[in-house]
Amino acid sequence: MVVPVPDVVSPVVVSLYIPAIFTGLLVGLIGLLGIAFQKRDIHVLILTDIVGLGMLIIVAAVGTDLAEALILPGLVVELAEILAISELLMSREMRKMDKKVDLIPVPLNLNMEIFETAPVFFAVILVAYGAFLSGFTGGAVAGAGILFYLISKIYRGVPSDIWEGISATAVVVWCLWLIGFLLFFAAPDYWLLGLFLAAFGLFIEVAYKAGLIGVIGREEFKRGKE
Amino acid sequence: MFDVYACFYTGVLLLIVGSIATVIGPGVKDPIIRTINTEVPAIGISLILLTYNHTVALLTYIAASLIIMMILLRAVVRLEELEADV
Repeated sequence: MVVPVPDVVSPVVVSLYIPAIFTGLLVGLIGLLGIAFQKRDIHVLILTDIVGLGMLIIVAAVGTDLAEALILPGLVVELAEILAISELLMSREMRKMDKKVDLIPVPLNLNMEIFETAPVFFAVILVAYGAFLSGFTGGAVAGAGILFYLISKIYRGVPSDIWEGISATAVVVWCLWLIGFLLFFAAPDYWLLGLFLAAFGLFIEVAYKAGLIGVIGREEFKRGKE
Repeated sequence: MFDVYACFYTGVLLLIVGSIATVIGPGVKDPIIRTINTEVPAIGISLILLTYNHTVALLTYIAASLIIMMILLRAVVRLEELEADV
């Protein structure tokens, strides 16, 4: 059965659909073949990135606003997945070798004076601009601000118990997004309220998730302090 | 004049060549070289997203690929400092 393409889809997008789908499948296949022949874990982790690219093209090939909206959560999920697997890999090796290394290995000494004064300024600007953008993109911008603040404070000791509170708030805020989404269907008259609930719920959620990268390393901070 | 087809097929070419280079390219036994090779398909996918006018997706992808790069390099460097054989 051939499903007719609606007239609103531009002919350029329709003509590019088949090549895009095949490119996506081909890239996914190349990545998966690489994973199949690879024995070392860190290489498998890097090749997972390639398979994720194949997924992105297949979604993007639809070429509508819906595709764009689906790419954003796909990116965030891919980011979280790579982060979690890399942390797992590192903590497993550290347990096996019974050794410790720096949380963020850098060739420079980061204990500079500018990291005592600048982070607050940068974090405030990034969070404010992220709040202005709202949604996934704003969340990523604000998350980068929070992350920069936390990383520059590592050398002066990070209050690890604050992070537990933040992670709890992120889950509550996720419910705001759900309520906003439900409002679209239950009470379409309040669409503006629903839109803002969804946009800012998502903004705070993504910002905290990006800022929470340190939570995974919380145990290592505790170990470092002892 | 912005040629949609030229942009799209350049992206496709970069994507396929880049992913092959990441899997079997020269010197990929070193994890850092393999990580840097993933930047080639990243440019390809940016061109494809540009063709479809997915502006927000393109901007978020640039930010996300930067963070993924940082995570991967951090993992590689930490594992090398551990002298772990993974």
